[in-house]
Amino acid sequence: MQAYIVRRLLALIPTLFFASLIVFATVRLIPGSVIDLMLSQNDISADKFSRDQLIAALGLDKPMWEQYVHWISGILLHGDFGRSLWQSTPVSELLRARLPVTFQLGLMALIVALIVAIPIGAYSAMRQDTAGDYLGRSFSILMLAVPSFWMGTMVMVFPSIWWGWSPDVKFVPFHQDPLRNLGQMILPAIILGTSLSAVTMRLTRTMMLEVLRQDYIRTAWAKGLSERLIVSRHALRNALIPVVTLVGLQAPLLLGGSVIMEQIFVIPGMGLLLLDAVSQRDYPVITGVFLIVGVAVMVINLLVDLSYGLLDPKVRYR
Amino acid sequence: MRKGSITAALAAGIFGLSLVLGAGTAASETQKPKYGGSLEIGTVYVTLSALSFDPADWNWKLNHDTGNYLEQLFAADLTKSVKNGGSHRFYADGYLPSDAIRGELLESWEWKDNPLRVEMKVRKGVMFPEKPGVMKSRELVAEDIAYSFERLRNSPKRQGNYFHFVDKVEVKDTRTIVFYYNQYHAEWDYRFGWGYYSPIYAKEMVDAGASNWKNAVGTGPFQLSDFVQGNSNTYTKNPIYWGTEKIGGEDYKLPFVDKVVYRTIKDEATFITALRTAKLDILETIRWQNVDQLKKSAPQLQWSKWLNMSGTFMALRMDQDGPLKDLRVRRALNMAVNKQEIVSAYYNGNAELFAYPQHPDYTGYFEPLEAMPDSVKELFRYDPAKAKKLLAEAGYPNGFTLKTQVTTANPDHMDLLPLVAAYLEAVGVKLEIQPMEYAAFLSAMTTRTHAPAYFMNSGHVNPTRTIHKSFITGELWNPAGYSDPAYDKKMDEVFRTRDEAKRQAMLKELTREILDRAPYVWLPTPYIFTAWWPWVKNYNGELRAGAVRPGPIYARIWVDQELKKKMGY
Amino acid sequence: MAAIAQPVRRSRPVSPTVHFIGRLFREKPLGAIGGLVFLAFLLCGIFADFLAPHGMNQISPINRLKPPSWTFPFGTDNLGRDMLSRCIYGAQLSVIIGFCAAGLATLISVLLGILTGYLGGKFDLVTQRFVDAWQSFPDLIVLIVVVSVVGPGMLQIIFTLGLLLGIAGSRIIRSAVLSVRENMYVHAAQSIGASTPRILWHHILPNVLPPIIVLFTTRVGFVILIESALSFLGLGVPPPAPTWGGMLSGSGRAFMFHGPWLAMAPGLCLTIVVYATNMFGDALRDLFDPRMRGSR
Repeated sequence: MQAYIVRRLLALIPTLFFASLIVFATVRLIPGSVIDLMLSQNDISADKFSRDQLIAALGLDKPMWEQYVHWISGILLHGDFGRSLWQSTPVSELLRARLPVTFQLGLMALIVALIVAIPIGAYSAMRQDTAGDYLGRSFSILMLAVPSFWMGTMVMVFPSIWWGWSPDVKFVPFHQDPLRNLGQMILPAIILGTSLSAVTMRLTRTMMLEVLRQDYIRTAWAKGLSERLIVSRHALRNALIPVVTLVGLQAPLLLGGSVIMEQIFVIPGMGLLLLDAVSQRDYPVITGVFLIVGVAVMVINLLVDLSYGLLDPKVRYR
Repeated sequence: MRKGSITAALAAGIFGLSLVLGAGTAASETQKPKYGGSLEIGTVYVTLSALSFDPADWNWKLNHDTGNYLEQLFAADLTKSVKNGGSHRFYADGYLPSDAIRGELLESWEWKDNPLRVEMKVRKGVMFPEKPGVMKSRELVAEDIAYSFERLRNSPKRQGNYFHFVDKVEVKDTRTIVFYYNQYHAEWDYRFGWGYYSPIYAKEMVDAGASNWKNAVGTGPFQLSDFVQGNSNTYTKNPIYWGTEKIGGEDYKLPFVDKVVYRTIKDEATFITALRTAKLDILETIRWQNVDQLKKSAPQLQWSKWLNMSGTFMALRMDQDGPLKDLRVRRALNMAVNKQEIVSAYYNGNAELFAYPQHPDYTGYFEPLEAMPDSVKELFRYDPAKAKKLLAEAGYPNGFTLKTQVTTANPDHMDLLPLVAAYLEAVGVKLEIQPMEYAAFLSAMTTRTHAPAYFMNSGHVNPTRTIHKSFITGELWNPAGYSDPAYDKKMDEVFRTRDEAKRQAMLKELTREILDRAPYVWLPTPYIFTAWWPWVKNYNGELRAGAVRPGPIYARIWVDQELKKKMGY
Repeated sequence: MAAIAQPVRRSRPVSPTVHFIGRLFREKPLGAIGGLVFLAFLLCGIFADFLAPHGMNQISPINRLKPPSWTFPFGTDNLGRDMLSRCIYGAQLSVIIGFCAAGLATLISVLLGILTGYLGGKFDLVTQRFVDAWQSFPDLIVLIVVVSVVGPGMLQIIFTLGLLLGIAGSRIIRSAVLSVRENMYVHAAQSIGASTPRILWHHILPNVLPPIIVLFTTRVGFVILIESALSFLGLGVPPPAPTWGGMLSGSGRAFMFHGPWLAMAPGLCLTIVVYATNMFGDALRDLFDPRMRGSR
């Protein structure tokens, strides 16, 4: 087991290297440089001297590879992701403030997805091709098919007209007021979660169907055990193992899909940070967000794979 | 031009009526102000968070975020506002009428000759509050003004020769400072006085780190207590603020409210909803599409309406070879577009046909369309037949293809441009539309690689800026590439003229000339609405008391908390 | 049981495709309906020019914001354009974007999956690390950055989505290839010295076909959804292109109260097509997978 962990961690290194290269290259390729944006925001013409000064002040005059090395070494040696080009705020500070928020939203959405998907998936498998199966699956897929931004808009606008109520636009961090924070996050989490439930439901159903055909299940039936006992004690537990793997698959979807929810429900997460940074060409912030998200997903995947090994006695890592 | 004059008369009538109504409500509003409460505001820049807190960053949005705690030499004289019986609305984003400027940090100032200079007397008793880790409480002195100016002028991010007319700045004593000019410049007070980049702050703040919002401290009515980027700015009351306001004959210490919060909300549906459920007390920017629904679902809201401080147009590159170099072609393009229909159908009546380059709020500088010579009026008359004739005369009887760039960041433009394209196609001019993301779009203009037609908005700012930024040779925001040395010279003359009446006459002429030369397809300017709940008192929709600076306005607002509770919020 | 043999009724064998379709309708009616909608969507897209009563961008301010009527079955938008026509052309755009992106993605997935799955070794190891790196980035986030790099437009979105989904989907194909690789006939082919391309084309590919088909169908719906999400963020195919997502997030939301049909028409189209695609894909997956043959 230990050897496996070490091997996986070592394998992360080239992956991270590729990731950082991808991130750095894509961001630098973006046309419309930050210099033009900064200079054109005022109505005064900037002469070449001002332009050069600004480029130097932002550290963008060095060759590309030098900037990459500077950036990477800053992260590895000091944990310094650089500073925002506009605000001079340290990027790590921004990331530290935003990542937990997105993570919390993602986690809540995932829990909602599981709460919705597992019962539907299990029921679907046991009562395959019945009306109940179709209803359950249809609901799940419908939640997927309606665009999340539309659901968000409906949830935001119509209660305000019918009942004069709307979700909070004031973001309260969890440690300050947990109840209020949860209240604000629950709606976007439900919308995000139900749209994710379709994929989870599908997988649960597949796994349940496979498990239900196993011999030991037949034996349990033959012994006369109640359906409920069979499902809860045998089938569900075994079927859930791949669902844990699904968590890893969902991680990028959660971190990415939250952009829309963050915009509609005024939640200061990573998605909005990235959106703003991209439109302002704030390179250090963009590369910082990208890299952190990538690393977060890799870590989640590693944890999931390890837990998979723990959960399933048949799987043993050599 | 019958139709246009009727529209104008109607507009004037409605405007006048709203003035009377506004005055009416103002007259009934002489309640005694109360202290306490807080204001949640969706500002004019509700979707934009602060870009920078350091004045040396030369950032246009600075005053919007710092103007509550950093003060300037001059500010708007809000006693001249309409609700106080005056005639000014204070909507303009970079303009203060010359008769509505008061000294904020300055007690008095005087122009003197030989050498040309302004002697300024700093107000007594203006205190910086204590800020732990930054500075102890102390009085503002002339040295602070000199420091702020020099730091701005020498900033590594400075732009252009903005202060070329300033010779030097001398501090005579703790309360006297003199600005020596090598020539008169009409924008002297705009550039460093009540303008975009001229707040006054202490050296201690810079020593602690001026770009860090946590070190923000100033002499203003509020202090910056919290900033969540992309989400909110929180300002709390400054207990030792020097300012007072006379209401109903009595003097009151400012500010009234304990807290002002700017909510940054990117999504339109969300911030409209927040206003509807009173999660926002004031929302300064509402498009016409949302007005009817809001009035229906929240009938107690108070409203004001203002003409967008930004002209909409399609710039036509005159600096490249092609059909657009011909004046007849450019005039034809103007006549081919049915601008009246854009006002009535696209904006549903919520727009003005003619409001650029001069803005109707620039009293004394603005001339309505009726006062214009016929050659200008013609450009705003829908006449596709004449357009085709002109095109044929210029050698394009079958029209031509025109590559056009527009930015996807502006949803209004993305809808309006196809409409304009439909009009132009009817006279044979086919638009090849290339949508671009905002930064790329802007870059194209700054690097002069933009398309022959460039669909954009450009802020009016003020009567001199609106001409200078867009129609002077080599200027950044001159997408048409307009270049006329004689015109440049005339504009330069305007800056040197001390007499305002003379400047007004000169600018009127310059405006007529540029309109006639049609470097742009001039398009209508939409109205935007502001709404607030009735417990927001001593406020009538004013937007700025300096360049993008609402601070002094918010300081004078008081919240009727009892009324708010009575209404169920 | 009767000892007399019954005469065979059928006179000619049924082709496997027809048999499959028959099974689809019999066992998975909802999926079959999904398939029909999918087909209708495809046809709508191909024959949009013939089906649409008005033009794609026929602006007519006089007719703006008209509710549904006989002349304008889906009403008109704020510029007086017929919503029905725009939705039909929207189908065309969705077909193009959806099928092209899904097609490109599937092609990449197949190439990458089969090559790495079959060849294995160092090549597989390195590629998997690269795929890992790619997969760590959320689709939407990558798209936001990429669309800023290459600018908004249909081709850019097709290419980016195709690349992203293709690389991510290669894993699925790879695992299918891994299980097929160990089969008897593959070993047999190898022992008689068949060339690698021949083995790939004749033996591996046909057996990996089912997951490929399922992958393709579900990807179409996914691409349509992602394009609508991009439109909401302002990065989708720009107006006046009548994408369903663009119409829904743009004028649909802006004129929500002036004309609900501006949002309902493209919204329903989008939802129905994505729903149908998913149900159809699910049904296909069930029919292909021997494990799904019911538990009773």
